[in-house]
Amino acid sequence: MTSEEIIKKVKMDQGEAIESSEVNLCDSVLFVSKEAVRGVLEYLKEDPDLDFDYLSHITGADYLNEDREPRFEVVYELHSIDKNHSIRIRVGLDEEGPTVPTVSDLWKGALYPERELFDMFGFNVEGHPNLIRLIMPEEWEGNPLRKDYPLTLEDVTFSHNREFKQDLVKSKPPTR
Amino acid sequence: MTVTDQGLLEREKDSMTLNMGPQHPSTHGVFRVVLEMDGELVGSAEPHIGFLHTGIEKTSEAKRYVHVIPMTDRLDYLSPPGNNLAFCLTVEKLLQTDVPERANYLRVIMCELARMASHLVWLATHALDIGAMTVFLYCWREREMILDLNEEISGVRMMTSYIRIGGVAQDSTPGWVQSLRKFIEYFPAKIDEYERLLTNNPIWLDRTQNVGVMSRKEAINWSMSGPVLRASGVNWDLRKQRPYSGYEDFNFEVPTGKNGDIYDRYLVRVAELRQSREIVKQALKKLPVGPYKVDDNKISLPNRKSLKSSMEALIHHFKLVSEGVSVPKGETYVPVEGPRGEVGFYIISDGSNVPSRVKLRAPSFMAIPGMCKMMEGCFIADVVGIIGSIDIVMGEVDR
Repeated sequence: MTSEEIIKKVKMDQGEAIESSEVNLCDSVLFVSKEAVRGVLEYLKEDPDLDFDYLSHITGADYLNEDREPRFEVVYELHSIDKNHSIRIRVGLDEEGPTVPTVSDLWKGALYPERELFDMFGFNVEGHPNLIRLIMPEEWEGNPLRKDYPLTLEDVTFSHNREFKQDLVKSKPPTR
Repeated sequence: MTVTDQGLLEREKDSMTLNMGPQHPSTHGVFRVVLEMDGELVGSAEPHIGFLHTGIEKTSEAKRYVHVIPMTDRLDYLSPPGNNLAFCLTVEKLLQTDVPERANYLRVIMCELARMASHLVWLATHALDIGAMTVFLYCWREREMILDLNEEISGVRMMTSYIRIGGVAQDSTPGWVQSLRKFIEYFPAKIDEYERLLTNNPIWLDRTQNVGVMSRKEAINWSMSGPVLRASGVNWDLRKQRPYSGYEDFNFEVPTGKNGDIYDRYLVRVAELRQSREIVKQALKKLPVGPYKVDDNKISLPNRKSLKSSMEALIHHFKLVSEGVSVPKGETYVPVEGPRGEVGFYIISDGSNVPSRVKLRAPSFMAIPGMCKMMEGCFIADVVGIIGSIDIVMGEVDR
């Protein structure tokens, strides 16, 4: 199916669950609310004509510097192996308590990317069987891929100039 | 364990916890897995990653697009051109620009050479893990020739950064084409040599057949990709399914397996070595003449010669070096087939010359949970074989 056909079919079947949709540089993109995303993803996987059986990746995004609402976003990219088409689902998340439902029971491949979302962006993934930090150490503070997390001035705990560095982190306004 | 009143050691539970890695030669980097052992059998495997975290995704948010390319080399460090290509194709899609045909052919040649080099490293280390020392030395010998070819065309042996936004870094020379031709004539006999050592070797068969089996359905559900997915019988190769960089012009086969065990992954990768060599051969035969980068001075640097005579070229050069390419606002994702599977960058641009978000879809990262699933119920000696058969590269797992 072409991108336009996919969007037409999803809109017909999932009517009000889809906030908006577009064909962006030949890719089909759906905008879905976090309440509806679980149902839409289940439908995309189970529908025999769409058959999105392969999860390519899940990622997060932080639009802090772009002055838009909502601040965060979670992006799902799906392929269909037999039908050879793809779709992208974008879910906007508010700054207060960003939460998405887990899809790791639909695609086992989602286990790690969802833990990464928790680790790097601080999103809560509801229903994930093992939601702990993945890449950063367990005692780490903060979520590195958020835009208000400074890039260069980390808190070096074993450094001889620890106090100096800590003062520097506090005094420097968050930049990217 | 606890000490009893009689001074004897007593186990607290029936299983034994065994730590493997991160400093273990057969984890291919710094991968740690905690195995829950029941005698010789693995009950469960808990992976731990992050030891090689370099923060490349975060660093990319402070670098110009051109400066991200050398960092992509260091993600999957066994096949740098594949990462360069994935990144450049995504940026070019946002810029909506097409590269000249010669650039596409040079890109394909470099990517296929990198695939061969990467599969040679995989075969070398995987065979060494299982106990075949000779194959290790043989594979290294041929890989060295590919690295020499890399050096000849780009000046660097491993981290080539050869593929750039809008084309490639520099044109090929007749001497390089001749060396490459010599190599592809020489290479098939050497693949036969590896196969003579392994394919019908009874020890190799015992160690690999029916070990680490993953069914077609499981492989799709666990988001495995590349040779692992194809060994499970899924005919999914992005070079065929979503042709990019002119892969539709080449005539090649996609090898698939039946059983999805370690042996099938071996057969698929060895067949891919032959197919890659076939693609390079066809590309060399049809290598078109023409420019090797786009003729748009807002994207690629003007020629060195024109700087001395053209004021406009000088201005473009200055602007491009000091400011870099400005990419229109938007976000996109272009998957390409790397040696380990689907590699792709999800890039969000805010319209400036610095990306707002660069996310790497790394095949090794996505394969780790599935790999640990395979380990459940196998012998401890096979854990090493399973890790080797997935061919993980920790650079792209931890990023």
